[in-house]
Amino acid sequence: MLLVPCPNCGPRNSTDLRYGGESHARPDPNTASPAEWRAYLYLRDNPAGWLRENWYCASGCRRWFSIERNTATNEFRDPPLPGDKRGGAA
Amino acid sequence: MADAPAFESPVVRSYPASRAGDLTLSDESAVTKWLVRAGAEGPTADLLDARFGTSRLTPGDALVLGSRPGEWIVVGAASEVAAAVAGLDRLEEQEFCSALDWTHGRAMFRVTGASAPRMLEKVCGIDWSDHMTPDGAVVSAPVALVTCDIARNDRDRVRSYLIFCDRSFGQYLFGALIDAGNEFGLSVAAASAS
Repeated sequence: MLLVPCPNCGPRNSTDLRYGGESHARPDPNTASPAEWRAYLYLRDNPAGWLRENWYCASGCRRWFSIERNTATNEFRDPPLPGDKRGGAA
Repeated sequence: MADAPAFESPVVRSYPASRAGDLTLSDESAVTKWLVRAGAEGPTADLLDARFGTSRLTPGDALVLGSRPGEWIVVGAASEVAAAVAGLDRLEEQEFCSALDWTHGRAMFRVTGASAPRMLEKVCGIDWSDHMTPDGAVVSAPVALVTCDIARNDRDRVRSYLIFCDRSFGQYLFGALIDAGNEFGLSVAAASAS
């Protein structure tokens, strides 16, 4: 079982959440080139190691949050605090 | 204004229960329920005064549950719930807030008895021990794979839990709770007026 530390609900089974993919900063729509948009939409780093990613607490607080997970060991670090908006879509 | 339609519970049939212990399950879906949504911090949160994960009783005995950040469920007698949300009208110039009568849209069950935590452990992944979920605690979690809001609301120092789910899952969840509680001697009680 993968326990994901939700900032509002505490550690929850990953089946209570939805994975939202890697967390990337959205390019500025006024200045981004097509290549930057393509990279934002379709390209993923997919590292074997630490990765910042988005999760949606679907069965709990229904809030998005972003957190760092080691994709090789499934450890989590830098859990956000309640109300922290980093990386997550509202 | 047209009269509200007569309430019909989502639970239309029950199932055999073992009735050998002190655990009771009742369908309290007819109790008035309102959903209030606003900012997690602001005048609405101040007025309702129940942080996420906690609940409180108003002076008129309506129960205010902090079910999610910026979301509250108000439960109780219709007049008391109306009184609890009446003050929201005065806040409309300060903050956008919505209040919706949820009575017909949500099922509500009460599980009471010393074995209630052990019964819930069978169908829900939350830690129901006293230090994690004391009396008054509110959580949202799947119960028998149905996303529910669950409030611990002890009665006369006996463990008691209110479980809310979407109306369409009410019949299924009622049966699933009976199935989970049978080994603890569950009996299906008549709904109490609260």
